Amino acid sequence: MKRVSLLRLIAVFAWTGLSSLGGGRSAYFHDALVRRRGWLRNDEFVQDFTLSQVLPGPNFSNLAVALGYRLAGLAGGGWGLLAIVLPGALILVGVATLYLHGAFGPSTTLLMRGLSAAVVGLVLVTTLRIMRGSLRAGRGVVVAALTFLAVGPLRLPTVGVVLVMAAVSLALHWAGPPALPAKAPPGETC
Amino acid sequence: MADLALLTWTFLWLSLLCVGGGLGVIPEMERQAVTVHGWLSAREFVDGYTLTQLTPGPNMLIAVFVGYRAHGLLGALLAGLAMFLPTSILAMVVSHHWQQWRTRRWAATAERALIPVGIGLMAGGVYTLARTAIHDGVTLALAGLTALAVATDRVPPVLAVLAAGTLGWLLSR
Repeated sequence: MKRVSLLRLIAVFAWTGLSSLGGGRSAYFHDALVRRRGWLRNDEFVQDFTLSQVLPGPNFSNLAVALGYRLAGLAGGGWGLLAIVLPGALILVGVATLYLHGAFGPSTTLLMRGLSAAVVGLVLVTTLRIMRGSLRAGRGVVVAALTFLAVGPLRLPTVGVVLVMAAVSLALHWAGPPALPAKAPPGETC
Repeated sequence: MADLALLTWTFLWLSLLCVGGGLGVIPEMERQAVTVHGWLSAREFVDGYTLTQLTPGPNMLIAVFVGYRAHGLLGALLAGLAMFLPTSILAMVVSHHWQQWRTRRWAATAERALIPVGIGLMAGGVYTLARTAIHDGVTLALAGLTALAVATDRVPPVLAVLAAGTLGWLLSR
């Protein structure tokens, strides 16, 4: 069940962790693992993403564990976690030392504002790509739209929304006709 | 010693509160770290969160920042382990069993059913990020430019984001 070697996985996860700036970080994973390397299919990524959101814990590390496990088993999960947390933690400790000695001014805040705005553009494109690749049936569109409304504009608690919408979606998928084998758009398969 | 144990315990239970995105746990973490235990000042907490946004890795490395401020390297290590290790083990256990269950029919249906929920969550995340990050014409333009650059598939995401961030910084100086 191992799809990639442990060394490749550690290198790619560490680089993905190091190059993920400004929030919305699962987008970087999607780009690195699905788009660029084709290690995972779009729908596999969405499953792991959903799992990482539903389980308690920081979702970026949950996602690294789930993706690492899928790609290289138990060792992949463990090393994947270490590869995305440890480099950032070491850098943060270095930066924190500088900060606690008074090395930063208000310009840091300005740079962060620009980065956060840019990240919105990135996550928008990623979400649209994932939608195009994985959202086909009408019932799926309804479930996705309701979930979006609940956690986005309505600001309802995520756990409750996921539990309710998962139940609704399960009922729809169980009762409805079986989905046709999906035709993946070009460039979305592995 | 007692305070180190308290620090570890606090971040352990805070980690369980991080559901569906780390931002939800920030208010409680601030209350615990600043008001209840006095590990750092409110200003330092906000600045620490900004730094975790600017440095690579998960936002929840804010735990490492708080631990480092309170008890140096040992505090950073313990807070980091408490924040990431237990929940990661849980994620591993669930992933492991899911791989075994997924060949069964109910599990395959569940997987298909969860995909649109996940996509809705992602779209909700875009909305939430946009609500805090886009507040004028400049930030809207930065987001639009980044989206166009990423959509061409010619620019690595990190470069597009860094370039737009620097541009925004220069414009707002």
